[in-house]
Amino acid sequence: MAIDPVTLEILKNHCRAAAESMAYTLYRTAHSTFVKETEDFTTGLTTPQGLTFATPTELGATWFVGLNYANVINAIDHYDEGDIAMTNDPYSGYVCTHSPDMHIWKPVFHEGEIVCFVVGHIHNTDVGGAVPASLSRTLSEVHQEGIRIPPTKIVQKGEVNQEILNVLLANVRMPEQNWGDLKAQIASVNTGERRVHEMIEKFGVETFKEGIAGLLDYAEAQARDIMRDLPDGRYFFADYLDEDVAGGYPCRIALTLDIHGDSCTFDFTGSDPQIEGSVNMPTGGAERHALMMVGLVYVLYSLNPRLFLNSGVCRVCRCIMPDGTIVNPRFPAAVGLRTLSVQRLQGVIIGAFSQAAPDRLPAGPASGGPIMNVNTIDNRTGRRIVASIDPITGGAGGNPKEDGTEGSGANSSFLKNTPVEINEAEVPIKILRYGLARDSGGPGKHRGGMATELRFEAQAPNTRITARNRDRSRFTSWGVLGGRAGSQSRFLLNPGTDHEENLGNTDILKIGPGDVVHIGSGGAGGWGDPLERDPEAVLTDVNRQMVSPESAERDYGVVIAGGSVNPAATEARRATLRAERPTDGRFFHFGPERIAYEAVWTDGNYTALTELLAGLPVHWRFFVKHRIFEAIDALPAERRRGDGSEVRSSYEQVVRRYPQLSALL
Amino acid sequence: MGYRVGVDIGGTFTDFCVFDEQTRDLHTLKVLSTPDRPGAEIIDGLTEIQRRYGVTPESVVYFTHGTTVGVNTVIQRRGVNLCLITTREFEDVLEVARLKMPDPYDLFSRRPTPLVPREKVFGVVERVLADGTVEHEVDEASVLAALDGIRAVGGEAVVIALLHSYRDPGNEQRVREILEREAPDLSILCSSAVWPVIREYERTVTSVVAGYVQPRVAGYLGSLQQALKSVGVPAEPMITKSNGGVMSAELGKTECVQMLLSGTASGVIGASHVARLTGSDNTMSFDVGGTSADVAIILDGQPQYGTGEMIGEFPIYVPTVSVTSIGEGGGSIAWVDRLGVLKVGPESAGSIPGPACYDRGGERPAITDAFVVCGFLGGAELGYSAVKMNASRAEIAIKTIADRLGLGSRETAEAIIRIAASGMYLEVSKLVSRYGVDPRDFSLLAFGGAGPMMACYLARELGISRIVVPLTPGVLSAFGGLIADVKNDFIKTVFTDVEPASAEALRANFRELEDKATHWLREQQGFTGEAQLLFSADMRYRGQSFEIETPLERAWIESGDTAAMAGAFHREHERVYEHADLDAPCQIINQRLVIVGDSPKPQVATIEQSGEPPTPLDRMPVYFDGQTHQASLYRRADLKAGQRFAGPAVILQDDCTTCVLGGFTGEVDPYGNLILTAES
Repeated sequence: MAIDPVTLEILKNHCRAAAESMAYTLYRTAHSTFVKETEDFTTGLTTPQGLTFATPTELGATWFVGLNYANVINAIDHYDEGDIAMTNDPYSGYVCTHSPDMHIWKPVFHEGEIVCFVVGHIHNTDVGGAVPASLSRTLSEVHQEGIRIPPTKIVQKGEVNQEILNVLLANVRMPEQNWGDLKAQIASVNTGERRVHEMIEKFGVETFKEGIAGLLDYAEAQARDIMRDLPDGRYFFADYLDEDVAGGYPCRIALTLDIHGDSCTFDFTGSDPQIEGSVNMPTGGAERHALMMVGLVYVLYSLNPRLFLNSGVCRVCRCIMPDGTIVNPRFPAAVGLRTLSVQRLQGVIIGAFSQAAPDRLPAGPASGGPIMNVNTIDNRTGRRIVASIDPITGGAGGNPKEDGTEGSGANSSFLKNTPVEINEAEVPIKILRYGLARDSGGPGKHRGGMATELRFEAQAPNTRITARNRDRSRFTSWGVLGGRAGSQSRFLLNPGTDHEENLGNTDILKIGPGDVVHIGSGGAGGWGDPLERDPEAVLTDVNRQMVSPESAERDYGVVIAGGSVNPAATEARRATLRAERPTDGRFFHFGPERIAYEAVWTDGNYTALTELLAGLPVHWRFFVKHRIFEAIDALPAERRRGDGSEVRSSYEQVVRRYPQLSALL
Repeated sequence: MGYRVGVDIGGTFTDFCVFDEQTRDLHTLKVLSTPDRPGAEIIDGLTEIQRRYGVTPESVVYFTHGTTVGVNTVIQRRGVNLCLITTREFEDVLEVARLKMPDPYDLFSRRPTPLVPREKVFGVVERVLADGTVEHEVDEASVLAALDGIRAVGGEAVVIALLHSYRDPGNEQRVREILEREAPDLSILCSSAVWPVIREYERTVTSVVAGYVQPRVAGYLGSLQQALKSVGVPAEPMITKSNGGVMSAELGKTECVQMLLSGTASGVIGASHVARLTGSDNTMSFDVGGTSADVAIILDGQPQYGTGEMIGEFPIYVPTVSVTSIGEGGGSIAWVDRLGVLKVGPESAGSIPGPACYDRGGERPAITDAFVVCGFLGGAELGYSAVKMNASRAEIAIKTIADRLGLGSRETAEAIIRIAASGMYLEVSKLVSRYGVDPRDFSLLAFGGAGPMMACYLARELGISRIVVPLTPGVLSAFGGLIADVKNDFIKTVFTDVEPASAEALRANFRELEDKATHWLREQQGFTGEAQLLFSADMRYRGQSFEIETPLERAWIESGDTAAMAGAFHREHERVYEHADLDAPCQIINQRLVIVGDSPKPQVATIEQSGEPPTPLDRMPVYFDGQTHQASLYRRADLKAGQRFAGPAVILQDDCTTCVLGGFTGEVDPYGNLILTAES
């Protein structure tokens, strides 16, 4: 570091203050309720080359610490003082990661030289396209996901470019909100610019320039320090989305983590081919794309919460992302619902690292709950009401020290619910239950955090429910070191009646008066053997209605009688259970659905599939994957060997069946 | 004529401020707090005041008191064995809270463990709907079952918080009646009586904090009344409230949720008074103690109010003077991280052992030690001889990290101070951005034991050019209690559109609030003086999820002028968020009323004037900006109105030391306040 450490620490506080002030300014002046409710925005400062060196930690989304604006900065050949540029196109530089995210950046000049950029984004409620809010799993091309503005100056030398603005606003459903939010973004970068000028006045431009390099180096050094404490080795982990498209086949995200000294490599080979749906993650295959780094930032920060968060942290990592896959899709694959896949990816990264540090990291976080939207009619006024009622979240995985947090936590910590009383006052529905779902937390020495569940009754005909990002109704979160998987998520219509319906991963539903909807997230995974859990803790869970007496006995071997633990019966029960299920020494514990699935789709089969699909033109891969899955499904159990041979023979059948394909090979 | 006494009990010291109604003189005193014997410090202090100033207990005609006993009960988790009754199927309200975690980047981040664990929460069968319709009457059998549960866990007190009780408290009252009949020994609170506001988590957690601390606070107030009576103080004690007002101790026994932040709030009240007195309408109050710094924004001479202020780990939603607490104070520890970078805090040496220079066993360097090594402190005793300074201890402590940094002791000490100031700057930056104000338009009002010591450094970071150090910076909270009005807040949730059709209901609701308020002031408080009523409403555009409190005029309410109400909201929205949507429909979520009974304000005397420059007691070397400078040493009591001096200077007084850096000029105003101005 060229700068002395005392000045660096002071400059660090000033840079953070600038980023936090930008965030507060944006939050305060944003127009849309969506921004205020979800805090789905960022602000930050980047180097002249585009590397983020300061981000806010109190407000805003947690996903963009490692953002690199280089591609979009360079897409514009000349900047004048007072210019502000913007883009929301995922395929113009891979800074924006789905079309609702409007990114802007403003150069900060000092004596004619650009000394840094002040940047930020807001998730707009709508940017036009095929569906309201611009996002749907049914979309398959980015063109359907709304207007795309490639890197363009929206403000030139302080003057708004009205023509571009008119084009943007003509293409969206609620133009006054987009314009209001854009104004808030402009206010935010102007605040940042002013703060940078103040810093330069205070510290001098040379110190400032050395300082921002020093801050990246400092974050990198801290991150390397954390990495060095992790044992070298190669750690593989994969997880699935239940479906790649509605009613489709599982979607796999696979990671080989290689830790070597103070750095690591993420190799995503083995992940699914790009999807003909909208859960693709647009990264451009960059070595350190921000979306790939979220899990890394969570892990490193959790190992040392004093870590200064900026893109220097990401220098410890390098990614290998095969072309044409879910982690590196080709234009024009739709990317709108990458939220779902990115969250699963975070879990995959946590799982890979947890093998390196099982005594320092948690089990699998809960997920699979949607953001619930209700569109219904107020019977008294006849007015249609559209409202987001709640994010359905679940807890954190059990960890080496204690149980996972209940209802939310880990990588869903930033979400906020809506009070039952506010929902009922604003939306004509009646809420019948909101709370924690009993027996949802994965059993463990330290139990996984519980899922939340919401049950409500519609009051009017033609009530439409959307449940964006539904998942985990099949494959669950995972436990570690003997800890068990969490529960599946649940989406039921009219539970407990003779017309009960399991809605699985459905995300759109039309119901009428008296219909009852029950929605619950998945639970989080447990840490450590549940038979080693303190029986008194199990009793407390039972008294807290978090664990049923049946589960206490079945999963924990704890026998409760007359409101207290029966020690002798418990000891006997635990001995029986131990004998029945000898530990297999496996690090992870998965739910029965995944175990059954992986009995068919073994590592060997996946290796073969990955290799074969990689040899195909990108636009054939998803199609061929589905044909192979159909063929394997149709295969009698005795002909499955799991060594890849059945995948190869299915592949050959597919190639034979489609001369259009064989002609290409 | 007699004496008015304000007392504020803090973690380390208990502060006294005594106003002589005849001479208009102010006396101050600090004694050590006695947390193991709450209340004993008051008697100690009164004895000392009599000894020093000849003030007999019999001559104390007005007595106000701020206490942290409620907050401490929560922090130490020493409250009553409390249970909670909710609507069945909503028993997890405290566990789920609002979902969001304190540190969203940390996979281990947790919400605090609720004060009522889930096994002590019992659901009853009943239901009120959002419009107040009682869909299900209370099922008595379910209440009796809950009571069995409460008995089984040894519950001593219970909070009843049912859905939509802000709209119709009938079901909560019915549950209460059943419990009273069956279990007269239980102490019972209804959420609709504590603070009847929409949002079940917020209302429930507020009521739970109230229920948890109540028996302890009530007991404390009872023994305080007894103790004052026994020494012969004729005044009925008044308790300072979180809303910046006061109420009688007798009422405090049942409304203790209103007084949990009494000390910090009355500090801001004292600060706003000084702000007005010194013509500093826009002021940032900067109250620094041993472990934290409290910052509040004062606009147009008025403190700002908010809800959701923290009591230990829990937010409460009664109206409270807004104060932001920064985890840095005179006792914050400096350390060096694994990469060789100097850090300050968040760990604090607290009052025990305290900074190394206190010579009570502290060995790690604290901010206060850095000021000693730089030469600003150590020339005098702190806290009315309660603490003696040992400069060599500070030197040794600083040396431990100076060696690691490869710097000299003084360089290290200055680095500690500057890093601490930049950390405070970071937190204050967030605060001013939240309010959308520019700190350069503000004065910095520095008080508390360490505020005047740090003020110049923070002012330089923020670009603030005017610092005010009040005459009694160590006891401003106690002083604030003396000028606080008798005050209470009332709320009714209505959730209605602002349109002519709502006018009648709004008027009727305000009448109901006014009747309650008047009853509280005249009957319960027995207050006979002048009173004001302040009307307001929490308003928003339809579809928004947050409200802005908008002041309303009585005339609009009386004449049903909903257009004027909407207009006021548009202006407030423009002021706070810099935009308004004149065409969008507005809603009123809550109607609010504040009643204020004016208390007689002490008219502080002016001090002696002098046209002569002040004579320094001494000249001494101090270290800042990388150099040694000669500073003038003054005693605060010697400084006369109108006197001016240039920095660097050090000003000593009983309750704190003011450090004036080079580049600042000091001037004493007619009331003895010290005004420091930065040379531009």
